[in-house]
Amino acid sequence: MKQSSKKALWRGISGIACFTMCLSLILGSALEANAATIDTYLGTNSEALVSENNEENPLYDKFAPPAELLNEDGTGNSKALIEAAIDLNRREVAEGSVLLKNNGALPLDSGSNVTLLGIRSHSNLLGSSFGVKAQGAYISLEQALSQNRTDFANTIAWSVGSRGAAPSATISEWTGDEFDFEGAGFNINPTMVDIYEALGETYVHYENEPAAEVYDPGEPSVDEIAAVNGSYKDSFAEYGDAAIVVIARPSCEQVDYLPGGVAEGLGFEHGEPLSLTQNELDAIKLAKEASDKVIVLISSSASVEIGTLKNDPDVDAILWIGAPGCYGMLGVADILCGRVSPSGGLFDIFTAYNMSAPAMQNMGKMYYTNTEGTITRTGGVLGFNPGAYLIEAEDIYVGYRYYETRYYDSVAGTGNATSPVGAYGSDTEWNYDNEVTYGFGYGLSYTEFTYEFQGEPTFDITVDPETGAPNAYATFNVKVTNVGDVAGKTPVQIYGQAPYTPGGIEKSAIQLLNFEKTEILEPGASEVVPVKVDLQYIASYDENYDNGDGTTGTYIMDPGTYYFSVGNGAHDALNHIMAAQEMDAELMSGTGNAAQALAVEIDENFISKTMFSISKTGYKISNQLPYADWNYYQPGEVTYLTRTDWAGTFPETYDAMTLTNEELINNLNGYTYTLQTSDDTSEVVWGADNGISFYEMYGVPYDDPKWDQLLDQLTLEEAMYIFTFGGPSIPGADSIGTVETYMTENAGNGIAVNLNASKDPNAPWAIPASDPNGNWHPEVFANAPMGASTFNPELMYELGQFTGIESLFTGINILWGPGLNTHRHAYNGRNGEYYSEDPVLSGVAAMEFAIGALDYGLVAAPKHFAFNDQESERGGVSPYMTEQRAREVELRAYQIAFEATKYDTEDYDAGMRGLMTSFSKIGSIECTTSEGLMTEILANEWGFIGYAVTDIYDDVDLWSAVLNSGTTCFDTRGQAGFYGTTTLESSNLFQNLIEGRGLDANFIDGDLNLQLKLKDAVHKNIYAWSESHLMNRYNATTHIESQMTWWRVAYYGLAGVSGAVLLLGVVMYVMASTRKKEEV
Amino acid sequence: MKKGTAFYISAVAAVLGAIGVALAAYSSMISTDNALVNMPLVIGAGVVGVVLVVAAMLAPASMGNHNPVTALGVLAAIALFSYVYGQCLLQRIMLIAGLFSYNAGNTVGWNIFYVVVGCTVCLVAACVLLIVSSFCNNVKAQQ
Repeated sequence: MKQSSKKALWRGISGIACFTMCLSLILGSALEANAATIDTYLGTNSEALVSENNEENPLYDKFAPPAELLNEDGTGNSKALIEAAIDLNRREVAEGSVLLKNNGALPLDSGSNVTLLGIRSHSNLLGSSFGVKAQGAYISLEQALSQNRTDFANTIAWSVGSRGAAPSATISEWTGDEFDFEGAGFNINPTMVDIYEALGETYVHYENEPAAEVYDPGEPSVDEIAAVNGSYKDSFAEYGDAAIVVIARPSCEQVDYLPGGVAEGLGFEHGEPLSLTQNELDAIKLAKEASDKVIVLISSSASVEIGTLKNDPDVDAILWIGAPGCYGMLGVADILCGRVSPSGGLFDIFTAYNMSAPAMQNMGKMYYTNTEGTITRTGGVLGFNPGAYLIEAEDIYVGYRYYETRYYDSVAGTGNATSPVGAYGSDTEWNYDNEVTYGFGYGLSYTEFTYEFQGEPTFDITVDPETGAPNAYATFNVKVTNVGDVAGKTPVQIYGQAPYTPGGIEKSAIQLLNFEKTEILEPGASEVVPVKVDLQYIASYDENYDNGDGTTGTYIMDPGTYYFSVGNGAHDALNHIMAAQEMDAELMSGTGNAAQALAVEIDENFISKTMFSISKTGYKISNQLPYADWNYYQPGEVTYLTRTDWAGTFPETYDAMTLTNEELINNLNGYTYTLQTSDDTSEVVWGADNGISFYEMYGVPYDDPKWDQLLDQLTLEEAMYIFTFGGPSIPGADSIGTVETYMTENAGNGIAVNLNASKDPNAPWAIPASDPNGNWHPEVFANAPMGASTFNPELMYELGQFTGIESLFTGINILWGPGLNTHRHAYNGRNGEYYSEDPVLSGVAAMEFAIGALDYGLVAAPKHFAFNDQESERGGVSPYMTEQRAREVELRAYQIAFEATKYDTEDYDAGMRGLMTSFSKIGSIECTTSEGLMTEILANEWGFIGYAVTDIYDDVDLWSAVLNSGTTCFDTRGQAGFYGTTTLESSNLFQNLIEGRGLDANFIDGDLNLQLKLKDAVHKNIYAWSESHLMNRYNATTHIESQMTWWRVAYYGLAGVSGAVLLLGVVMYVMASTRKKEEV
Repeated sequence: MKKGTAFYISAVAAVLGAIGVALAAYSSMISTDNALVNMPLVIGAGVVGVVLVVAAMLAPASMGNHNPVTALGVLAAIALFSYVYGQCLLQRIMLIAGLFSYNAGNTVGWNIFYVVVGCTVCLVAACVLLIVSSFCNNVKAQQ
């Protein structure tokens, strides 16, 4: 070969090698910077937390899974774990599904021949498309009804995201064990199964699907069914014992349903996405042809408009089944075959027209008319739209509180309640029966129960003499008797009504105060169920109350007659109160039983008007969220709904608000904190040498001085790292002996980490990669409304415990969940992740879950604190509302969960140890930067101590204001390699701070307040860690070791080979050049 | 001296490199929140890369096909172009991951994504062309 050709060859080879080496370095950088997240998705462990286990430094001695989920040698038993999950999900759905109607068709006999109709009977909806997915292998409705064993070969859940995202399988395949189960024992019409299988090619459905702004439920027409098999009706005779129709409406993160947002040509009954389409109604007609027993299953996490079905005498039964999770169809089968008598109550009111809710007059995408030129703050790294807002003019009248209160006033003849304004079922009047299909808390059983108060409630009312903190409870003993023919459980729901004065503070005519559930009662059996009610939750927040100390606003108990009742849902309970008040029975919808209501006179001598003006922590309560109210800035522009005049104040649509107030504009632009640069910060100790390590802090109370000693050891920079990078990977701090650790994950229905990808692979029970069930994914439980509908605190607790057990197997010690926002209306796409429209039901569900999870060392961090009332423009939308509304509806759920007074003891202040803040604002202020929300209410009033993380990359430009508020860290998913790949200075998340500069280690050198806040934030974070099963892994020897994962081998190898070839190429090129010169 | 194949391939590479660098700069200007942290360095590297490609094109006219300026220039240009698109991608990984999961409605983000894809395609193509040109002559020998 000529020298010139050789030179060209080596030059070219060098070019190739240079290119591949660069590629490998880019790839390597990407992998290393996101190693923690990559590990989760690939099931690798790039960093290992290593500790030596010996007698002096024992490991894994603080939290462990229950023995029945372990093998004899202490290793994890994956099959037992999965069987336990199947059993729990089955019981969750069997207790949470709500029987709305039953003309005697249910239960069906074992051996019944049934026809399943509706494409969703074949392609089941099991979870949300993003957020609380049903992940992995599942048991279908068809299997649950007709089979007894599954190998999961053909039932892998798929998911499709919103806005055209590509569908994907949640796991690639199932190669693990087979599982036995007890099905319903029905025979399923195979003709219809085959037809829907064929139609599935046209109407593609997945187990996890999103809501949509223009919605099409994808239900085939009767003609399309006939086109597949023209003689399909011939099969009805053989399978005519019952026809079961499934109708579904999905939920998801990121997208809402919108008013009028329906695909054209589908004949939506009310022109709205949650009403039924013509094809769905035709499927029900078909069911009537197939059988004289027509059963409809509603699979949704929101109110579906099913008034037509309720009023159709040929529809025999309606069962709400939510999004039941991977094995929940077994629970549905239990109900259909009568193995279990239904005992759930509705999580939300089901209205005839969802648009009739006052909240629906202001939802969706609304922007200030003068955003451009006025709002200078950008949309952040996630590209959110600035300038979105909502006027929550419905005030406290959310969900059933509106319908039941207006109903009460319509019977009482007050407040223009019967005016047609706001009516959707009639042009001439507002009438409860026209507007409501099934009330909140309502649910039927296969048996009948009677409820009887056993005497007067027992009151326990004291005030802490030192702090003034109130302790005010009423315990109602309710005798429940099964007067029917079959065994069953029932919720015991206690409701209350506070005395209302027209023109006074707004009060709902009925509100849930607490609930319990009976054990299974055999026919004729009774049980006295005590239900303890915290009377704080019947107090009202009067934001105009003069506290006499220069502040305004607090909780008050108006003296007067308070009514309490027990009922099958809010409407039934209200009717009992109305009967006790001798209201006109002719005007009532349904009947009341005065014996199921109690009147209690409350005066100053019994409970003082301002007893609840002091929180349980002894903190004085006053207005903290004035900026929540639009009228605070621009008075008189918003009219809030009042029961004094339903007609005159029914919300108008505020879709063209203009910003004029300077303070309002300033707040919206994020200028809420001024960074100080020259404070004397010498009083704040950093970098002390006190000789304490993190592992020694297990069980040390939050206020123990030992914490101060530990915190003083941190350097300012270490503390800034802990605040700045809050998860899922958390930076280590040498000074206190912590190492970079992957700690946090989603979601509320299980842990989003595969069983064989544990972040704690050294745990004795960790499931190895070789385990046949290793790719089981623990996110298998139902969407949140199902848990709420159980009305069973013990089951809610058990769900939390099991998630805690899952967390031990997956090595996740902080859970970003459960969802705890309010169902402000049915169109919130994320309702599947949140429990209910009622704060007590939501709060109790979350509290039980979190305390149960903590039994196994899992810190549950409910989200999104707070006011994430819709997904549309969720990034920074401003919901404006009164402080009364904020406290009595949105915040009450969090308050119940965070205070967790049910579990307080003399020695231990129970509570949740985590939360995630909301993308949204409260009024004009970001929730993440609201001192009123994060410090005054959350920490001071409720006593919250723990990890309070932002949502992903939220408000990173407001770093100092976020720190100032009391938020304890940022969610910086994807960041890893702290102090190396990722530093305060190099992370591109924090380079555009509102101060006009990027973050660096000296950023708060001159700000005393922020340094103190930083110490407090870090204290709360580390305290939360110390309460978790992270402590299982820590001792004096703990250190981190980098692991040679396969992807590291791959990119190291590629870079090495490329580098060698490059070097060789250059050398050969030079040699060729040299020879040529010599030849010359 | 007549221009060889490598000259024309390198010319195309230079143009693609210039477009890629321009797109990198544009991607940084769409949104301040997703700007490149070290944009001057990144763009500077890209510009130097283009200059080196041009130098590698022109050097053979006076120094012959196989001269060290062309050889090193091409290698350095490949490295610099890789640095540019590498930074564009690396600094937008979280943004892109969000677009395909929880943040598909981020229209600004999608704009950045498309520009970054364009930038990457141009610069990778430029690198490939530079590699191809390395196997070819830049000038044809005189008959």
